[in-house]
Amino acid sequence: MNQQEITLDQVLSQQREAKREIVNVDEPTAKLVIFELQGEWFAFQGEKIREILSQVDVFFVPGCPTSLQGVINVRGDIESVISLHELLQLPESVDISSSSYLLGSGAGMSSTIRVDKVVDVVDVLLSNIHQPPTTVPQHLREIVSGIVQFNEKTVTVLDLDRIFADYSHGLG
Amino acid sequence: MALDIKKFISRFVEEAREHIKRLGEGLDAMSRDSGDSENINAVFRSAHTIKGSSRMLKLSAITETAHKMEDVLGALRDGSLHYRPELGSLLYRGVDAIAVLVESLAKSGDGATLPPVNEALCASLAQVATGELSAAVTQSSSIDLASDGAQLTVKSTPPPLATPTLPAQAKLNTADTVRVRLAKLDELIKLMGEVVSSHATLRQRLHDIRVIERDASPESWEQHWVRLHHFGLTLRDDVQSQELLMDELHDKALIMRMLPLAMVFDSAGRVVRDLAHSVGKEVECVVSGAEIELDRQMIDKLSEPVIHLLRNAIDHGLETSAVRLAAGKSPQGRVILSARQDGGWVVIEVADDGGGVPVEAVREKALRKGFISADQATGLSDQEVVDLIFLPGFSTSAIITDISGRGVGMDVVKQSIVDDLQGEVTVETRLGVGTTFSLRLPLSLAVMRVLLVDVNGLPFGFTAQYVDELIRVPHEEMLTVVERNAVIIRNEFVPVVALADLLHAPKRLGKTTRSQAGTFDHGMLLVVVRVRNEKLALAVDDLLDERDMVIKPLPEHMCQLTMVSGMVITGRNELVSVLHAPALLELARQARGQASRTEAADHAGAQGTAYKILVVDDSLNTREIEKDVLEAWGYHVTLAEDGMDGLQQARAGTFDAILTDVEMPKMDGFTLTSMLRQEEEYRDTPIVIITSREKEEDKRRGIEVGADAYIVKGDFDQNSLVDTLRSLLG
Repeated sequence: MNQQEITLDQVLSQQREAKREIVNVDEPTAKLVIFELQGEWFAFQGEKIREILSQVDVFFVPGCPTSLQGVINVRGDIESVISLHELLQLPESVDISSSSYLLGSGAGMSSTIRVDKVVDVVDVLLSNIHQPPTTVPQHLREIVSGIVQFNEKTVTVLDLDRIFADYSHGLG
Repeated sequence: MALDIKKFISRFVEEAREHIKRLGEGLDAMSRDSGDSENINAVFRSAHTIKGSSRMLKLSAITETAHKMEDVLGALRDGSLHYRPELGSLLYRGVDAIAVLVESLAKSGDGATLPPVNEALCASLAQVATGELSAAVTQSSSIDLASDGAQLTVKSTPPPLATPTLPAQAKLNTADTVRVRLAKLDELIKLMGEVVSSHATLRQRLHDIRVIERDASPESWEQHWVRLHHFGLTLRDDVQSQELLMDELHDKALIMRMLPLAMVFDSAGRVVRDLAHSVGKEVECVVSGAEIELDRQMIDKLSEPVIHLLRNAIDHGLETSAVRLAAGKSPQGRVILSARQDGGWVVIEVADDGGGVPVEAVREKALRKGFISADQATGLSDQEVVDLIFLPGFSTSAIITDISGRGVGMDVVKQSIVDDLQGEVTVETRLGVGTTFSLRLPLSLAVMRVLLVDVNGLPFGFTAQYVDELIRVPHEEMLTVVERNAVIIRNEFVPVVALADLLHAPKRLGKTTRSQAGTFDHGMLLVVVRVRNEKLALAVDDLLDERDMVIKPLPEHMCQLTMVSGMVITGRNELVSVLHAPALLELARQARGQASRTEAADHAGAQGTAYKILVVDDSLNTREIEKDVLEAWGYHVTLAEDGMDGLQQARAGTFDAILTDVEMPKMDGFTLTSMLRQEEEYRDTPIVIITSREKEEDKRRGIEVGADAYIVKGDFDQNSLVDTLRSLLG
């Protein structure tokens, strides 16, 4: 069929094309875990997130600040559950039954972070991650490390180390 | 090829520590029975071994000291020298000197940096060996202080006194590693093997059920039902045997974490001698109970508080020889470090036979430093005053010494015992007789007996050592006192708080507890927790379980939650917070403080005149509640803990009215009342008896001895108390 009609010239030019592509692919990328909170998209750097858990039971611990929602059992290890809603000044999610939990470590501690849902885990070209614009609200300036476009939505990349540092100094 | 000596150093240190320990024990035994030739032989051999092996590594300072000791011990062995206490203390000093050298070697790992030998000590030992005891002992004691001081790490600050004092280097040994007996490890490995083979059995079962599944067809259902039933039975047996195995494995693994208290206690003798030496006091240290085993996590955290208590005993507790002689005591002070098991607890006591805590001096100082107000100062009982020493920044020593008295420490002791080790600290003291600090600790922080309760459908745990009792009380027995609830349990007021309110526990949706359902509603279910002599009754919905459970720590960043001491996992894989009773009491106290303050503000205008009332009751809770009620109505309240105390307080001050319990230690309320009536000052003062004795004859007796009113705790109502007082005071 069509295959028989390809000339030698065409084959050679295809090969050249292929070689050139191999040389070009070397731009550094970063892995991002993109998640949704109250309809907005955020992300953490992939190397900070050890595991994504879903369908877990969260247990109440008395005396916690509101942003610490309790603890979960990760194969015998007790991990806390942090909610970012307060920090990001978003309304608290009502139904948490379909939530996911990102188990992250940074700033010398580990904890899970409750998110409404995980959108995707993607490799993004570093050059596509932009500095946060100066219009970023005051309450976010400390913890936002960049902005990236994904699937025609703006994703705010958050700095897990900065968020955790506040907790390791005294429960947020 | 050059021999690498460093490799041998650590082996030598291990060996030398062992022998130093034996030397110490041998010398102790010698001081009790100097004629035991077998013991002298053993001590001699230890000194000889240290000499020999240190010489091989060219550790001349150690060799020299051990050699001189060996000479003296040799003379003791062949009878040319006889044991005397002075000789014993010289030998102790020799052992201590070797120990200091060995520890310094352990730190540097290099024989070349070893401190020089203590010449004066060696000279004394040499003299003793040739029989010139008296000269040597007196000479050595004057030189020793200076030369020992030079050997130890000297702090940068110059000594405050003219005589060179020794910055006491007090450190007990703790271990990074645990030595486990091979037999214990073998047992564990054997068990592990069993678990592996038991897992293989389970895999076989899985295979079995697959076969049944494959063969199953609707036609042969009956036959398959038999096979299935059989399968169920075998699986049940397997699970049961696995369970036994797991329990055993768990127990065995936990035992490996247990270490004898000797880890902390063994070096105590030396620490005491060092410290005593540096403050110029004669102290004997008696150690017992070192064989008791505790979780290693606790052993590690125990050494600091124990050291501090020893320091405190030597520096503050014991008097100088001169003072002791004047008081008719033996010139040598005694510090007893002991441990014993008491139910699920281990009690460690540091006792001295010194002068006791000067209660009045503490009271005065607390007042001067602003820890308490003048009103409080007069109102506090002696025990409460003594407890002030645990406040941060409190130190009673008139002179700040190098060893203790800088005003840090006692609060740290309390903090590490109460917060880190889940234990309790108490102090008992008698003027002129001595002071005893008791540390009550759980055996292990890893496994504890836990009581699980249900609150709003959520489970919570209590470690059993804090639970005093569980009771069900009818709703009508609840009393309202100063806007909060209380019940009377055996002649004592116990405040009641709903655990759900205290914890701000959310309601779990879709789950009704038994008591909410109403089927078991015979009253309130109360968990009475006790911390020292303070009680709190917590209303819960249901009891769930009580058994030994593994306590898991919270993540580190959550450790500031004082209310939760750890977590346990239930059979249904739920995580349950184990509540820390002392923190709950504190929380309840804060809530109460606010309530009584608002009420006090309500009544302040109405009352106006501030009458002074003395409240006598042996129950702390009852005293506190009566105090709160009365203070809420604007009265000034002073507390006394028994009849005798009440009488003394009454004589020391003037009161407008006295409230007393009947059953109390030392002196009961009837006697107190009749005694007070004999005093000129209290002939007409209103006296109210508050008791749980309802019998008519008791009431009559109360009136006979001169009480003005008799209130039965059962029908206690704060208004009746206030009304009675008001009518009596006019």
